[in-house]
Parts: sequence; structure tokens; C-alpha cells
Amino acid sequence: MVQPLSGQAIYVVLLRELKRYWRAKARIISSVAQSLFFLAIFGLGLGGFIGRFGNISYLSYLAPGIIGMGLLFGSVFSGVSVIFDRQFGFMKEMLVAPVSRTSIIIGKILGGAATASIQGIILMLVAGIMGAFTPTIALVVGAVVAVGVMLLITAGFVGLGVAIGSTLNDFHAFQLLSTFVMWPLFMLSGVFFPIDVVPFPLQVAMLFDPMFYGVELLRWCLLGAGSSVLGPLGWLISLGVVSGFNALMVSLGTYLFSRAQV
Amino acid sequence: MGGLSEISIIEVKALTKIFNGKVRAVDEISFDVKEGEILGFLGPNGAGKTTTLNMLSTLLRPTSGTATVNGCDILAEPDAVRRSIGYVFQDPTLDLELTGRENLDFHGRIYGLKRDVRQQRIKELLELVQLTDRADDLVKTYSGGMKRRLEIARGLLHHPRVLFLDEPTLGLDPQTRRSIWEHIQRLNQNKNVTIILTTHYTEEADYLCGRILIIDFGKVVALDTPDELKARLEGDVVSLAFSDPGAIGKIRPILEKRDWVRRIELVASGNTYATMSRMMQMMRGMSGGVGMGGMMPGMNSGGIESGGKMPKHVQQMLAQGMPSENGHSDPDGGSKRMNLLVDDGGHRIPEIVKLITDAGVVLESVELHKPTLDDVFLSVTGRNIRDERGSLVEMMRRHRIVQQARGRRVRG
Repeated sequence: MVQPLSGQAIYVVLLRELKRYWRAKARIISSVAQSLFFLAIFGLGLGGFIGRFGNISYLSYLAPGIIGMGLLFGSVFSGVSVIFDRQFGFMKEMLVAPVSRTSIIIGKILGGAATASIQGIILMLVAGIMGAFTPTIALVVGAVVAVGVMLLITAGFVGLGVAIGSTLNDFHAFQLLSTFVMWPLFMLSGVFFPIDVVPFPLQVAMLFDPMFYGVELLRWCLLGAGSSVLGPLGWLISLGVVSGFNALMVSLGTYLFSRAQV
Repeated sequence: MGGLSEISIIEVKALTKIFNGKVRAVDEISFDVKEGEILGFLGPNGAGKTTTLNMLSTLLRPTSGTATVNGCDILAEPDAVRRSIGYVFQDPTLDLELTGRENLDFHGRIYGLKRDVRQQRIKELLELVQLTDRADDLVKTYSGGMKRRLEIARGLLHHPRVLFLDEPTLGLDPQTRRSIWEHIQRLNQNKNVTIILTTHYTEEADYLCGRILIIDFGKVVALDTPDELKARLEGDVVSLAFSDPGAIGKIRPILEKRDWVRRIELVASGNTYATMSRMMQMMRGMSGGVGMGGMMPGMNSGGIESGGKMPKHVQQMLAQGMPSENGHSDPDGGSKRMNLLVDDGGHRIPEIVKLITDAGVVLESVELHKPTLDDVFLSVTGRNIRDERGSLVEMMRRHRIVQQARGRRVRG
């Protein structure tokens, strides 16, 4: 399904996402706060009990995973918001315009990726202030790379959200989505515990979680190469998986969105 | 009609939409729209008006048939079609979290208007619809009429050759309705925009439209100017009302014999509640589970019609709204009004009254009027359009339509 792309259409849909995000201050605050509760309570509370994780604190171990959580939830819900666009009618306004659906959905995906990544950047800064990362030149470079990684991860998950939102036409599916998609993706991403300490079946499940590789990449950026459990080339494997997932989900989301009835 | 020409800007050929493989929402309709005219689709809810517009605007793929808009085929060149049309939907399609100006700006950008053109037109249109002073407020703070005006302004921003207005004044107060009518006429005359509007208000169609297309059960049943349509009903309409529901049964055979009575139409009784409760009983009897509770919320305007799995008589009743119409369901169904189409009505009234009195029937009131579009509608569809509006029967029918569209079982 090749459709011509319109830069203007992509830009205007992206702009709308940013405006709406920026206006919903309460939502920004509550989702950042939620992630911070996890970081503070688990990082400081459980961290005091666990002590150090090799050469890093539990708080440091936890921080990239919690950033990942913000990215994951922000991006999937952003994608699923196509349901709301349809429900509140604005989708028709976009679809009747003389631009391809592909342009619209790419704008939507970029917008969702941008807003979820802004969320991730806020969390990264706050975690830094809490002392989760060792301040070095390498960290500064790593943080910049991390922003790119965030965009890559979130675009894939917005694609997943769009795919789900284009298939289900129902608000009520939200609860199911949260319980059976979001939470498993989050819990299995290696946020709280490293993959090498869990039983084999759980390890397999974690290896099938694309978010696991996303968190690996973020750790590699923010904590250094030594933090990877996948060996010295772990970053490359993770980057490959995340990119593949991204390509797959963006295509799937675009395809399902293009097919969906108004 | 500003520059009404003989050039067809829209040509529709055997356009058909079948939902779920069985529901014929639009059934092989064909018609032309002349450049510069205002054409009204008149029909009850669910007649297929919106479905037709959705196909012409390329939002919905026809099951068969095709159409051209501004010379472009809706199947082969959807982008070109969408560039030449503006569509103001029946349901609100504004982004409530943006301001009025931002909604217009979004539209201008997505249609590729340059910055200065965009800003100039936004300014003009905001003035046209009198929203300049509220332009920078969030749309969620607007009233219903303001939202509607903003949507109409938005539909015009890219200077479409054809503007589709789906129920432009639905639910608006008379004053706002009147001002929107004026906007629509001004647009048509000043900018030579061809306008297709759907409505189930006959007075709206009569006031605004150069030609009216009456659509019912997905078929075109009439297409002509309002005057021609009314002229088809030669003569005058004499409306009779009785207090006794049995009166019509007695009087009808007597009147039918008179050669000056061109036709007789029964008008559905106003007692919707009684009809509704009868229908509820029937529904309950056959499905065991369609309750009122489930049918109030979430009504939406599906453009789907007819064809379910219900028993014939219930289907007919649902479709026709009232049981006693045309005499072909329940004879004691409670209609107390009838319309006679007669030549020279004023002079026939004494004779009519005498015939009725001689038959021993008590007449409640007599009215005489020239045929209106309401009468035309009644004569071509066998139904009274006024009873189709928002009645419980209509809600019932919509409920069924929505259920069918969702593929749920209506019947046990």
C-alpha cells in the first residue's frame, strides 16, 4: 500500500500532538510523578535492602528501566488515542483531507514518539538529580544518544498502539490493554531484576519482550557498557531488536490504520 | 442560484452500499448535480443520506457503482475528489482541545494553503461566522451553534467547488438556523460553491434548495424543484381530524368513491407512546431481552436501512413508524387524522363535512392548505416526515440499526 507522503500533513498532525500534550499539564505531571514514585520508593526502599548491584546502586540500576516505563506507557497510549480521535470525530476531519492516510499516521507516530520522549527526558533529568548516574563526560554523550534511543523505542510502541487502536473500536478495551499488554511488557523488561537471576521460563519470556532490549540500550547509554547482561556486543543486539521491532510496528500500525473504516 | 449552469459537477451512477453483506443502505442511486446549485437530500434518519455523502467524499467505498465529482472519479482519484470538496459532518469533528483559530489553521495547513493565504482567509471566515472575538478560546468552551458555525467556516477554508453539509442546522435554535441559512445562501451566490445538504427539515429544504432529492430506504423516490414537487400534488390538501379512532374506517370508503378526491392518506397518530409500548411488547415477546435501558445511550447515526431478521410485520412497523398507516397493518391502530387531496378544496369542504356528518361520525377539525413539502414527502414515501423526527419509534429503529451495524444479535 504505497501512498504519497505529504510533509506538510505529517508536520501539522505532529504539531497538533505537541500542542495537545503541552496543554494537558495535569497529565504530564501525573505520569512523571507516577514514574518517580516507582523510582523513589523502589530505588530507595528496596535499594536499602538489596544494597549494591555489582558496582552500581539499585537506584542506578532501576533508573533506566523506570525511564523505559514512562516511554512505554506514554507511547502506547498515544498510539491508542486514535480511538479517541475517532470517537470525538476529529479523525473524519483528517481523513477527508486530500492527503494519504500514511501521512496522517506517520505524523501521529512522530508526534507520539516526540511527546513520550519528552516524558523520558524529564525522567532522565530527575533521575540524574536524584543521583542515579555518575556525572562524567561519557554520561553527557550517553544522555544525548539516549534521546535518539528513546525516539526509536517510542516510535515502535506508538505503532503498536495505533495497530491496537485501529483494530479495537472500544474504550472498554483499555483496561484489557493495560493489564495484558502494558504491564507484562513493563514487568518483563528487566526493570527490577536482571535476567540472569530469574528461572529459565521467565528468562525466555523476558527475551521475547522488545522493551527488554530498549531498557538494555538505555542502561548502556546511561550507566556504561559494563551494565549489559548480553555481553560486550549487547548494545548491538539490542539496537538490532529495537530497530526491527520499530520497523515492524510502524508498518503494522500504518497498514491497519489505512484499512480501518471511519 | 448565482451562476447556475447546465454543467454537471457531480454525476452519480448506480451507486450502491451494502453493509455486512445484507443491509442495503444505498440502493443503485443515480443523479446529477448542476454546477452552482443547492441540492437538498430530504429523507428520514437512516434513509441513506449520510452514506451517500460518505461515498461521494471517498470516506466510504461503494459496494458497486461509481460517481464523479468535479470531473474526478471517486474510486480512481480520491485525492483529487477530496481536494475539490468541503464536508461539514453531522457529528462534531472539531478538536475541542484546540482553539477555534487553531482548528482552522490545522485545516488550512493540511490542505496545503500558504501562510498568508491561510491567515487572510481565517480572518475573513471568522468574521463571516461572527466568531472573531472567540477565536482564541478553546473550542470546548463554545456553544453548540458556535461549534456549528466554526465547522461551516472550516469547510470553506480551502475554497471547495462543492460543499457537503450533513444536517447543517440539526439541533440549533431557530435564530441560529436562520443565520446559517443566510450564510449558506451567501456562499452559494458569492463564491459559486455548489452545495449538497442533507436535512429532514422540509422547511429547510424548501427555503434553501433549488432542487430536492427525496431519498427513502436508499432509493431516490423523487428529484425536482420544490415548486415542481408541490405542483405534482395537484389540488389542495384537506386535513380531517376525528376524535374517535374508528372513524376513519367508516368514512374512508365513502370518500374514496368521490371522483374529486384524488388521493387519501392516513396520518400517523400523535400517540407515539402507545405505539411504542405496543412495539416494546412485541419486541419483548420475540427477543426476550431488548429493554429500554439499553437503547437510550450511544445512539449514533448509522446510515443503514432495513433488512433484518425480524418477523415481517414488526419490520414493517419499524420501517413505517406507525402501525396504522396506509391501512396495511393494524386496522384499529389509532390513526385519527387523514389528508385528502382534492380539486378546489375550499368549495369541497361543505360537501365533505356533510358526508361525514351523514355517516354519523364526529369531526373534530378541518384544515385546508396548499400542498407543502411535508405533503409531498407523505405522498412519495407513504410516511409523515414529522413523525420520523426523534420519536421513540425512531429511536427504536436507530437502536436496531446500530445493533445490526455492530453485528450483534437483535433477536434471540
